[in-house]
Amino acid sequence: MRMRAIWALPAAAMMACTIAAGRAAADDSAYQVGVTAALTGPASGSYAPILASMRLYLDRVNKAGGVNGHPVKLIVEDDQGEASRAAANVKKLTVDNNLVLLVNDSLSSTYLPTMAEVRRADMPLLFAGICPKEVYPPADRLMFCASLFGAGYDTRNAFDFVKEKAGGDVRIAVIALSITVSRAEADYAMKYAKEVGFTAVDEEIAPPTTPDYTPYASRLIAKNPNWIYAWGPWFMQVKVYEALRKLGWKGDFICSAQMDAGPDLARIKDPHLYINGPDTLVSDNLLAHQEIAAASKQAGLSYPTNLLVEGWIQGTVITQALKDTGWPATPEKVRAAMSKVRVGLGGVRGGDLTWTDTNHFRAVQYYRVWHWSDKDGKVVVIQDWKPYDVK
Amino acid sequence: MQFAVNIVVLASLYALIACGYVLIYRVSRVLNLAHGELMMLGAYLLFTVASSVSPSPAIAVAAALLLSLAVGVLVYLALMRWMTGNSVLAAVLLTLALGIALRGLMILIWTGQPRNPAVVLHIVNPTIEIVPHGRVSLLSLLLVLTNAAVYGGLFALLRFSRWGVRMRAAGQNPLLAAQRGINLHGVYAMAWGVSTLTAAMAGILMSLDTGLESTMLTVGLKAFPAALVGGLDSLFGTLIGALIVAAAEVFLIQDVDPLLSDVVPFIVLLAMLIVRPWGLFGTREELDRV
Repeated sequence: MRMRAIWALPAAAMMACTIAAGRAAADDSAYQVGVTAALTGPASGSYAPILASMRLYLDRVNKAGGVNGHPVKLIVEDDQGEASRAAANVKKLTVDNNLVLLVNDSLSSTYLPTMAEVRRADMPLLFAGICPKEVYPPADRLMFCASLFGAGYDTRNAFDFVKEKAGGDVRIAVIALSITVSRAEADYAMKYAKEVGFTAVDEEIAPPTTPDYTPYASRLIAKNPNWIYAWGPWFMQVKVYEALRKLGWKGDFICSAQMDAGPDLARIKDPHLYINGPDTLVSDNLLAHQEIAAASKQAGLSYPTNLLVEGWIQGTVITQALKDTGWPATPEKVRAAMSKVRVGLGGVRGGDLTWTDTNHFRAVQYYRVWHWSDKDGKVVVIQDWKPYDVK
Repeated sequence: MQFAVNIVVLASLYALIACGYVLIYRVSRVLNLAHGELMMLGAYLLFTVASSVSPSPAIAVAAALLLSLAVGVLVYLALMRWMTGNSVLAAVLLTLALGIALRGLMILIWTGQPRNPAVVLHIVNPTIEIVPHGRVSLLSLLLVLTNAAVYGGLFALLRFSRWGVRMRAAGQNPLLAAQRGINLHGVYAMAWGVSTLTAAMAGILMSLDTGLESTMLTVGLKAFPAALVGGLDSLFGTLIGALIVAAAEVFLIQDVDPLLSDVVPFIVLLAMLIVRPWGLFGTREELDRV
């Protein structure tokens, strides 16, 4: 009797799995979108809110009748920001489900294995994190990116702004984190600095687990820059800035505006701290921001609105792409539709998001620069939307 | 001079975290691999008390510390107590599992979103020039002073107080201590409580100085070499070990390559394990137990 009882448990588990798999496969009245996301792990603070607001947006769309009369179903797997887990997730998602699209909402270290798997499955892949080079012209046919992070263009706008603002001798130092895209951007920044006539005095790369950025700030200050540029996760940028001020450095600091940037800018209140980015700040209080805030409150989400904007944009783009695809959908039809997508973002960015056959980033990237104004007693726009053609 | 100040601040952080490792090991011979997570939990408790109960720094910090003390005692009574009499390896593995479980729980409860307890508590953190060309933030200075006070307190506790003598006795010979009427479970629970309290102090000060995020627990791991280099059963050794590790880290960041900062503590540890495995001031026989 005991032997039979022992075998019953794994048998029941296998049956449950089979039923679940069957249910997933049989759910073919919905657009199935797979997601591999850093829901837990050290990077989850940046990526979990994106998925939460993407889901929030798509739930609203489904409540309103779905896309082309069909609901959009997100099938999510947690990769904890680890490459091996992301690869396993993508394999599982593509094999066990009838996906039409895959989303990577995780660290750039998960990109290579994810890309390899989607090429094997011939599935379009949307990046919700930093945009990899594969989406820039000439774009890989399967890779798409709608997120705010624009490697290369972020630096170009930042330095163009610095050149205009400084008007004279610029001695610039650069600091980044030792993760692939951040390092690459720092290297590009050192090169571009010379192109625009700056003196590039120092480049520092810090490990992600640094508890105290004071030693790095000391190294930067030792090279006597009058401007410092940081490009990396927001926590690194703001900690470096605070370490520099702690050491008495009085120069100008410019960094990439990310989801957390607005509230910190208002907290720090330093006119010499500039943030540069393609998304409006939540403090602009556009209709889209109010909509996000209201939806978030109704859903009981604990994330502040500024962390939900990116996922909302992803949801908007996915919805438009599926609308353009029609029904029934296949990965190839979705890919073809995405290659021609044009979607308005409610003013959250400087312009519409447009993809073409060869450009899966956007045709034009717009930037604003903000800083704290002592005179106005608030965060203000110091450079309004400036377009860069993405070539 | 800034170089020296950076070393002292980093050494104080490592020492404050590492004394928890030493306290538990010295008393119960268990290596607590969940120490970094307990440190981070203290910081999250501060944030929660500050946001939900009281934005008064004094009340929030006191409450967070008391809660952390209670957590440490609870961890012993609910988990570690059942390991008494079992192999040391089983107990260490249990702490490893506890750390992983705590990490997951903290993400579930607080999400991985960076938090700023100093903002919630309206704490200002100005820069102070404590020596010519040597600047430090107010909270970093507080960290150094807290570390000094904690070590002074621990020395006094272990040397002069009744409970401290009991803790030392339990650490040296638990069987004899039990036979002499010392309540071992009480002693071990106290060690876990005080260890978690000191870890929480480090976590709270760090989160107030530079913000709170889920990667903070890796600092707990980097403090572990400080305890081993100094000697896993020596508080004085831990202070020296922390200085050595911090000096190596700051020197290598400053003058060699900043990317070495993550590995430096472990390179120092490796070197010490090869040359003198029981640490600078540890007891040689302890090596057999580990």
